[in-house]
Amino acid sequence: MQRRTRLIGAALVAVSMIGITACSSSGGSGSSNATTAKGPITIWYSNNEQEVAWGKQMVASWNASHPKEQVKGQEIPAGKTSEEVIGASITAGNSPCLVYNTAPSAVGQWVKQGGMVDLSKFSGGAQYIDSRSGSQASQYKDASGDYYQFPWKSNPVMIFYNKDLFAKAGLDPANPKLSTYADFLATSKTLVDSGVAPNAILPAPTSEFFQMSFDFYPLYAAETGGKQLVENGKSTFADTAGYDVANFWRSLYAQNLAGQEAYSGDAFADGKAAMAIVGPWAVSVYKGVNWGSVPVPTKDGTPASKTYTFSDAKNVGMFTACKNQGTAWDVLKYSTSKAQDQKFLEMTGQMPMRTNLSTTYASYFAKNPSYKLFGDQASRTVEVPSGSNTVAEMQAFRDEWSNSVIFGKGTVKSSLDAAATKINKLAAQK
Amino acid sequence: MSRFQTGLRSAVLALGAIAFLFPFYYMIIGSLQTKQDPSLGGAFPNPSNLTGANYAAINDRINLFSGLLNSGIFTAGVLICTLVFGVLVGYALAVLQWRGRGVTFALALLVQVVPFQLLIIPLYVLITRNYGLSDNYLGMILPFAINSTAVIVFRQYFLQLPKELFEAARIDGASEFKLLWRIALPLVRPALVTAALLTFIGPWNEFLWPFLITKDASMQPLAVSLASYISNVAASTANPFGASLAGAVVLAAPVVILFLVFQRYFISTDLGSSVKG
Amino acid sequence: MGSLDGSPYVVAPKRKRHLFGRNPLGLLFSAPYLVFVLAVFAYPLGFAIYIAFHDYFFTAPGAVVSRPFVGLQNFIDAFTDPDVIRSFGNVGIFLIINVPLTVVFSLVLASGLNRAVHLKAFYRVAYYIPYLTASVAIVAVWLFLFNGSGLVNQILGPLAPNPSWLVNSSLAMPSIALFVTWKQMGFYILLYLAALQNVPNELYEAAATDGAGAIRKFFSVTVPGVRPATVLVLLVSTVTGANLFTEPYLLTNGGGPNGSSTSPVLLMYQKGIEQGHPDEASAIGVVLVILVLIIAWLQNRFAGGRD
Repeated sequence: MQRRTRLIGAALVAVSMIGITACSSSGGSGSSNATTAKGPITIWYSNNEQEVAWGKQMVASWNASHPKEQVKGQEIPAGKTSEEVIGASITAGNSPCLVYNTAPSAVGQWVKQGGMVDLSKFSGGAQYIDSRSGSQASQYKDASGDYYQFPWKSNPVMIFYNKDLFAKAGLDPANPKLSTYADFLATSKTLVDSGVAPNAILPAPTSEFFQMSFDFYPLYAAETGGKQLVENGKSTFADTAGYDVANFWRSLYAQNLAGQEAYSGDAFADGKAAMAIVGPWAVSVYKGVNWGSVPVPTKDGTPASKTYTFSDAKNVGMFTACKNQGTAWDVLKYSTSKAQDQKFLEMTGQMPMRTNLSTTYASYFAKNPSYKLFGDQASRTVEVPSGSNTVAEMQAFRDEWSNSVIFGKGTVKSSLDAAATKINKLAAQK
Repeated sequence: MSRFQTGLRSAVLALGAIAFLFPFYYMIIGSLQTKQDPSLGGAFPNPSNLTGANYAAINDRINLFSGLLNSGIFTAGVLICTLVFGVLVGYALAVLQWRGRGVTFALALLVQVVPFQLLIIPLYVLITRNYGLSDNYLGMILPFAINSTAVIVFRQYFLQLPKELFEAARIDGASEFKLLWRIALPLVRPALVTAALLTFIGPWNEFLWPFLITKDASMQPLAVSLASYISNVAASTANPFGASLAGAVVLAAPVVILFLVFQRYFISTDLGSSVKG
Repeated sequence: MGSLDGSPYVVAPKRKRHLFGRNPLGLLFSAPYLVFVLAVFAYPLGFAIYIAFHDYFFTAPGAVVSRPFVGLQNFIDAFTDPDVIRSFGNVGIFLIINVPLTVVFSLVLASGLNRAVHLKAFYRVAYYIPYLTASVAIVAVWLFLFNGSGLVNQILGPLAPNPSWLVNSSLAMPSIALFVTWKQMGFYILLYLAALQNVPNELYEAAATDGAGAIRKFFSVTVPGVRPATVLVLLVSTVTGANLFTEPYLLTNGGGPNGSSTSPVLLMYQKGIEQGHPDEASAIGVVLVILVLIIAWLQNRFAGGRD
């Protein structure tokens, strides 16, 4: 058997390359005076149509008055998610200066990779963030209290419902009974039994880590008055509130009120589901639907003005690969000014993370009453846990959730307990 | 050969053809529908439900021409490298005796075994950081430049050539280059077509690598922009199924058309036959 | 098809020993390929193995971090995770379904095609098209065909599985195996067609004079005649199955339902790229490669005969 020896030989050739590899990984050094350097920069913004329009006008208006510090804006390259592109570009050292679409769940990893600029380092940096976003901003600090991400905008998750389908099913579209679990289940049952839609609600029943933010997390935040998934390095959710939320969803799946199969389009927009659980960015997708919105349900029906939810925030990150960080910081401030935030709100319908949103832009909310609830809800949002293992933690949760809640295997309690054990372990790792 | 057997064979072949072609037929029908029709009737064209709108929507959102051009450059680069360098190494592996031949062949086999996902990030770092080739056609081509499967195919074909052919030519004083170019290559022309096809579909359909290496939308090959279209944009169109199927058709069409054009050369890929005859 | 193994048919008599062998030109011809393989394959592979034994994560250029050697810790972390074990099991299920189907159907179709008189070109085109087309494109149609209210279930009517194919934990992996069999079949038919050319016609004639029917000819002449190709088909389909990624990623949305269609490579993607733990991902990858090499060796040993 000569072939065996040859394969071993080939493997040896491969292994012997390790030595070369191990030596070649150190690169340039991060210079600290980059924070004041000015000059042209590149930024990325989200590829959603409305945000592209906002990004273009922001860049154009900045460029008009800063001929020496031109900004080049482009859509973020994205497949299913944009995180892998950003992660890879950090490692390669070719990330842009600013990304207007960083998911808080990924930021911890990028900080660990040395890819993010500490915004507290800029003079007046932390104050600017605190004064713009108020106490909510603290959720975006890292363990040592620094801002490696700029809290930018949120999409407080709520329940959208299709008024026409509700009316067809004989339900009151003006005052839907959706605030307690019992009401929500009863309403869902009426909807499905009457045949107006195959699903009462259809959050994606798939296994991607981030899907937990659109079934479990908003309801858990509401039930607990704003608890995070992980607090002080310990998972919180293996408690009565967590079990209640999980049992609620399990009933929806068990009674076939929510489907176990993902829908390729948007189920709510296509009338395949009578309700959706999503943030205000989706309003533009739901143009064809006569919709209303209510806060997510809680066990005993917490009043709307006290209900918390998941923020679905996207932030702005500055990357260490940026050479002209002085300009980048100025652009960041410019693009989150009161005037640009107003433009953002008007063009996208998403909520800038500002204190007193409803009063600052009172005229907007007067003209667009349907957004008022979102504006109000935006002040009570919960973020995913920080740290470098957030994605792994969310995936661990999702896998257990999928097992017991969506597919009804075992008990909810034992699977949430198992997820909690796993997450505690992950949270303890650095 | 009995009539029954001939009939059975035709039936099996025809059933196979239906199984292979039906999804493509369905893809085209679905891409032309105004509204999705999952019922049995939806498998047949219905004039009142036909539209080109799904294609128009793609055209609005994606620059098809530049996508096609980028795919063309990417694929052509890989094809040329594979045909030039792959043939050389295939010839060396089959015909020449040199030290390290066994290890080289084993490496070509090992390449097949290792999943790309294991290598992708080190490779990405290497190509962007050390070579500075992000947003560059070279960087896109490099990891695929010489297709190892094609190398193995070449070697296989050269092995089938009779030894005496080479011995005689060497005695006549022909150089190895001349041997390869004048004698061996013309005999394995079908192998070239096969290997070219194998090689072609790799980069043409590749998604993950060009997606990582190109940040600039104007550099993206068709597979990348259509895949993003299918997974991100299609859901927000009027008919998401139609839109993603139209994306699928646009992605599949160029390969299928090219194959149809070249398949008559491919037919002579009754591979070994040319060697024997 | 000759042997898969390195040796040419005629072993040349040993004459003088040169430093680079009898034909040093071979090294020159192979140099570009060797450089290529070392640069884009061996180097990252070596790197990946190195990562698997260290507490490693990727950093921005210039970041100073410590990445201590941790021995087998990454392997222990990875293989005490039941999901990882399960993903290997899933690939096992995949291979058990996919490999035999592939071998049987591609050989039957190839030998049918080989003898076909009419429509040969048409069949050939039909069989190759799925293989030519990108998974991303085809997955869209399969989703459409196999979802709960899709055409397949419409035809099956009351026989349709509930939950439907791709969201049924016991059917998801078999569905994927079926999809991959269908998609890759063209390539294997191509391999078998080539091999069938090399089965001498005299053998069939001899069998016919012995009074063998078509079926016995198939088993006593065709099957042994294409054995080298079968070894290759076994090897390639095993490798393809072990590297399964796109299908669970796109067709079952990340290994669903409930982890029943995860594959090791999908977990490598999740851990290495999404979760920032390339060290654990590499450990999985290294084990996967070793397993595949063992299987390939066994296949060659038992199906390959001696050459």
